[in-house]
Amino acid sequence: MEGNYEFEKKFRDQVLRCSSCGFCRAVCPVFGLTKRPALNARGKMLILKEVMDGNVELGDELVETLFQCTTCASCTNHCPSGVNPPEIIKQVRKDMVHRGTCHPAFEGMNRVLEEYSNIYGEDEPEDFERERNKKAEMVFFIGCVGSYREDEATLATLNILDHLKVDYTLIDEVCCSGALEDVGFNVNQRLSRKNVDLILATGAKTVITGCPYCSRTFNNKAEYGALKDAGLDIIHVSQFLKDFDLGVKTDQLVTYHDPCDLGRHCDIYDEPREIIRRFAPNFVEMRHNRADALCCGAGGGVRGAFAKNSIAMARRRLAEAEEIGAEVVLTECNSCVHNLKNAKLRAQKFKIYTTTQFLNQLLETS
Amino acid sequence: MDKAIKQSLKDIVGAENFTDALIDRIAYAKDASEHQHRPDAAVWPISTRQVSDIMKLANREKFPVVPRGAGTSLAGLAVPEEGGVILDLGRMDKIISINIEDRLAVVQPGVIYAELDRTLSPHGFFFPPDPASGSVCTLGGNVATNAGGIKGAKYGTTKDYVLALEVVLPDGRILHTGSKCMKSVSGYDLTRLFVGSEGTLGVITEITFKVNPKPPMTSTAMANFETLEDAGRAVSEIMHSGIIPSALEVVDQQSLMAINQNTDLNLPEVEALLVAETDGYTREETEFQMTKIVSIFEKNNATMTRQADSKEEAEALWTARKSAYGVVARINNNLLVEDLAVPMSKVPDMLRSISELAKKHNLSIPTVGHAGDGNLHPVVCFDGTDPDQVRRVEEASEELFKKVIELGGTLTGEHGIGLAKAHFMVLEHDEVSMDVMRSMKTLFDPNNILNPGKMGLEA
Repeated sequence: MEGNYEFEKKFRDQVLRCSSCGFCRAVCPVFGLTKRPALNARGKMLILKEVMDGNVELGDELVETLFQCTTCASCTNHCPSGVNPPEIIKQVRKDMVHRGTCHPAFEGMNRVLEEYSNIYGEDEPEDFERERNKKAEMVFFIGCVGSYREDEATLATLNILDHLKVDYTLIDEVCCSGALEDVGFNVNQRLSRKNVDLILATGAKTVITGCPYCSRTFNNKAEYGALKDAGLDIIHVSQFLKDFDLGVKTDQLVTYHDPCDLGRHCDIYDEPREIIRRFAPNFVEMRHNRADALCCGAGGGVRGAFAKNSIAMARRRLAEAEEIGAEVVLTECNSCVHNLKNAKLRAQKFKIYTTTQFLNQLLETS
Repeated sequence: MDKAIKQSLKDIVGAENFTDALIDRIAYAKDASEHQHRPDAAVWPISTRQVSDIMKLANREKFPVVPRGAGTSLAGLAVPEEGGVILDLGRMDKIISINIEDRLAVVQPGVIYAELDRTLSPHGFFFPPDPASGSVCTLGGNVATNAGGIKGAKYGTTKDYVLALEVVLPDGRILHTGSKCMKSVSGYDLTRLFVGSEGTLGVITEITFKVNPKPPMTSTAMANFETLEDAGRAVSEIMHSGIIPSALEVVDQQSLMAINQNTDLNLPEVEALLVAETDGYTREETEFQMTKIVSIFEKNNATMTRQADSKEEAEALWTARKSAYGVVARINNNLLVEDLAVPMSKVPDMLRSISELAKKHNLSIPTVGHAGDGNLHPVVCFDGTDPDQVRRVEEASEELFKKVIELGGTLTGEHGIGLAKAHFMVLEHDEVSMDVMRSMKTLFDPNNILNPGKMGLEA
């Protein structure tokens, strides 16, 4: 049966298959914070069933729930019925935008990327004092958060690449714009074309991304298909660094926060831990780790649209770091670092870094 | 619902703990059953005082109030069939105290089952009922439904652990039942009256549980039986052998076939597969019990018996039982997870009848269950968008429960009556017993405002 909306055509069976068992309550970060059943996957699927039955319009009244999902995919992992709510929700958002309903923050994000080359609408990126657009074996693609918000983490990563004498270049990159697909819009082709052209012009064989989300976008979105067609390998920096031993050590108690984009979405759990265990023998897991890791609350546009809840979700994550007495919280995603740092309370004495940033510190002080 | 009432509710719980938004009304219209009806509003109280004020208001203005935990009921216990207000107790989620010396845990109703278990674990203690929805269900819901689980045969169900309750009555008065003592016969046992009352008599706002030391060791074994009768005899013999397994589960042929069609587990498609677990404090203790169970399996013609030598192997043996629900959930749009119990000796008859009913009505009804206490879960698979299938499911259910009663069984072992089985109540309970139950409902809730429409009390 075909419905009025694209999501019905693509996902009708999945929406119907949700048996309302409620097991997603245990893992949904938005529900965990708000304890409001309308915001977890079961609630969203019930609402979409009503939409499919023609009882409810895909209108403004639904924005608060359908646009409040970090797309962390914890629910997908725990769903006995095999439903994949984030994929459904992303399509629903597109349907909503198509009929003129959207969260203002997401409309703003799309507008900014029509005018600017980064999600923050800023004019001048950090220079990072490295050569750009030269011929090299590898391209290091920083991403918006690493360029405009967490530039110290980026600088540290570049220092490590230099230290390891990696033949890489930066490019005059622009936003990969993959995030637009999550919030009701499409990859911006002006931006994707520019990135593809600049990367191909370097003659590189590998793209290393500082951001796991950019890596997913390059690997999975049709607009970046030319990179794979040209035989390029696209990997996240954590996958690249696992082969190197920098010979540094710390005795601090270190833990690791799995970013959803690297963990649940790409199944990369071991490489980041291999790297960390090499320099931090006092490695301890938080209560929720690997596929069960709690989301930092930033994804799916939630940080922009529901800032208060986004920060509160990050606080719940940090409470788990505090629970195990961690001195250092490492992660592999600049966006997670950014949200977790914003959420950290003054009384919490641990430090939050990307793994490369912390490694660089150890290197500089050794 | 008029504006003045909504305003009064906001005055009681605060505007941030009240909602009449469309998204919330849709989300609260359903639990894990197939029943559905929207409430007019929902509130998230955070104290007993607030619950009491809400009930006073409801009793005065005569609107329905439906208490709700995690909404995992498979029988429609939490569906607001007559509208009104959903009382979501999820934000009253504090563990008030753990007192290992006296074996007590005092909790608010919104605490998740798994959270209590996690808190007890470092003390070497646990709360045994172990419902399958333990990662999400609330303890208030466990008490209101007298929840059980796979450990029932050895450890009983929720009712065996509730010592005392704080309950808000439909008129808003706050009742304290029971005692913190392990033994008490002081007055009527009001505690037991509220356990399993499905939110029809009062709102549970604080629970005192007895908790158990957790035996650290387990042994696990699995056995295949070509006929249901052999499996049934094995179960009966185990249960009167003096050994009480901590779990004794059955998986039927239709479940095994469904699992094989959708996984690569490649299980033998016999009429029944049994999984047994014994627990204790030493390896010798659990193995002694398991050896006896395995010999009973073999004596009753088990075609293959496997015993686990490691934790991983034990988990592998549990896979068939634990994957059954997920497998059928993935391949069917609608599931009616039924719940019934029969005297243990009647388990084979019951399984045979279920299989015949499935054939007769052209339905798939894989069945799993807690063989050790005669509690079975036939899972009726169907497509709710096909009216003919829905009709056949209804007919099959009707015949199923007539058969259950004929075998001396009961309509529900652990899921409750709710809406799903309200009309079957008179099959099991005679006129006098229905009359007494109805009188009790009227005594506590003369205006019928608390979870109306449930348990067949209004017929």
